[in-house]
Amino acid sequence: MKVERCLGIIAVVVATPVALAAWRFGVGTPRSPGAGFWPLTIACVMLVLGSILVLRPNPDERPEGDSDSRWAKFGISLASLVFYIALLEALGYLLTTGLMLLVQLRLVENRSWRSSILIAALASVISLVVFKVLLKVSLPLGLIPLPPGW
Amino acid sequence: METLNLLLQGFALALTPANLIAVFIGAFIGTVIGVLPGLGPTATIALLLPITIGMEMVTALIVMAGIYYGAMYGGSITSILVNIPGEAASVVTCIDGYKMARKGRAGPALGMSAIGSFIGGTVSVVAVMLISPFLAETALKFGAPEMFALLFFAFVCIGGLTGKSRVQGLLMACFGLLLGTVGTDEIQGVDRFIFGTLYLQDGVGLIPLAMGLFGLGEVLYNIEKRQSVGEVLSTPKGLMPTLKDWKDSAWPIIRGSFLGFGIGIIPGGMPAIASLMSYAVEKKVSKHPEEFGEGTIEGVAGPETANNAATAGGFVPLLTLGIPTNSVLALILASMMMHGVTPGPLMLIKWADVFWGVIASMYIGNIVCLILNLPLIGLFVRMLKVPYSILSPLIIMFILLGSYAVAGNVSDLVATLVFGLIGYLMKRFDIESAPLILAFVLGPMLENNLSKALLMSRTGDPLFFFSRPISATLISLAFVVLAFPLLQWAWRALVRPGVAAIKPR
Repeated sequence: MKVERCLGIIAVVVATPVALAAWRFGVGTPRSPGAGFWPLTIACVMLVLGSILVLRPNPDERPEGDSDSRWAKFGISLASLVFYIALLEALGYLLTTGLMLLVQLRLVENRSWRSSILIAALASVISLVVFKVLLKVSLPLGLIPLPPGW
Repeated sequence: METLNLLLQGFALALTPANLIAVFIGAFIGTVIGVLPGLGPTATIALLLPITIGMEMVTALIVMAGIYYGAMYGGSITSILVNIPGEAASVVTCIDGYKMARKGRAGPALGMSAIGSFIGGTVSVVAVMLISPFLAETALKFGAPEMFALLFFAFVCIGGLTGKSRVQGLLMACFGLLLGTVGTDEIQGVDRFIFGTLYLQDGVGLIPLAMGLFGLGEVLYNIEKRQSVGEVLSTPKGLMPTLKDWKDSAWPIIRGSFLGFGIGIIPGGMPAIASLMSYAVEKKVSKHPEEFGEGTIEGVAGPETANNAATAGGFVPLLTLGIPTNSVLALILASMMMHGVTPGPLMLIKWADVFWGVIASMYIGNIVCLILNLPLIGLFVRMLKVPYSILSPLIIMFILLGSYAVAGNVSDLVATLVFGLIGYLMKRFDIESAPLILAFVLGPMLENNLSKALLMSRTGDPLFFFSRPISATLISLAFVVLAFPLLQWAWRALVRPGVAAIKPR
């Protein structure tokens, strides 16, 4: 299916409930438009533009699968991000960042175990020291407390 | 005389140690990310947004501007030596620049692009300085109807110019407008599209949006499809162009400066468009167009001048009207708003020091860039050899750290991931993201001015916009831009055959 046709369908699917919701916000009068007036206008324009794309999409410029995809790596990468978000506050910045970096370096980028562990450890410790200790950014500490006096 | 005085005050501000360091850092980071393919100024500024919040307003602006024009300098290095554009605006430089390098003329190609960039950048800053006060003064007389008309015109240009197709561009802009309506409505206090969450009450955050769309989306795309940097041609010894090169490049550089500035001030006029147009113009006016594509210096000097001129040109509408013309400037605008500055005609009155400080910093920054790109060029060429396998995980770390640190809120991370996936898909399917971010930033202003204007009209009659000369002109122009394909079609289908028939054979 053509990219533009998909985009048109998405636009119509999004715009329809938006238009209905906007109606409920209150459209108001032309003299004093309500909160729904503007979203309703956008939704209507989207319905028109979306329909044009569904009916008359431009051909795709980029042929499908023109170069080799690395889907497995993409999946692992995504999983490591979900893991990071889910566990950041429980495990703390240092551990989560270190593990995320390790997965990226070793599994996604295929670096050796040695350099992966070294870079992951260095990067997470240095960023913690710079941002948490020096710049006083609030980062969760989780399981590993800062050494006393920091 | 007054301008000179203000400029001197600007220099006084730009030459304070903190700001001087900011100029240098901005120009340096800009050149680095310009050199690195797959990492452009939009992604970099998105990444740095959380950090700029903590800076002085002027300093933040100076750094961001430096990254923007620095990237234009750096981009040409990769184009010439590797035949991969380091940055979108250097795509055309690959054509003749790489051919020149293959012929052993990498030196003059690199030297001339740095010199052209410097001239284009500097000429353009002079123009910004001279035009902005005049434009701001005119814009001061604008009421809500004029402001709405101006924003509407900008919106139509952005949607029409930046997308692959006009309909697609406008549709992406609509998505941006819609995202801009999320949250508690300013005028009525109604919660719109918050899905029962507290998080969305303040609206969609610009930082998760920008970090996701431009930062994470880009990285994810590069993980799926890695473009390997091939052979890097060695850095040449002599960078100085020959006398003939100077003669050949003089006019392309002059034309490129003005063309670039002109494109830069149009909404939707990105540096990439300026360099493409300059290449086309040079090829057209050249006495030997057949040499274009074979390694002619005009094909490098013109476009590289034009893209730098365009970067400075974009600051005119941004600082005097509050209208960003591309995604980099949209992020700069957003950062200014986070600092409590609303760019617009009042900027030159209320924040005159900021305005003149930034202008002065751009003069200094162009000199810094020239030094970085001529004597120190070897340093940046070596950066091309920094492996992506280290860079990419570290960028991810910074994106996550930055989006979390702003509010210490995991919801921001979730939002970043969601927008990252959307950004990845858009990149994957070649859908332009600039209209989306621009509309997201402009949307609330558009709605606000529309409501005010309708209130002013007393009757709510849309024809009210046509009763005022400036808004009437701008809205009519917008409709002309919208109807342009239709007019084109009508011309081709109806008028041209008629004209051809009348012509005597």
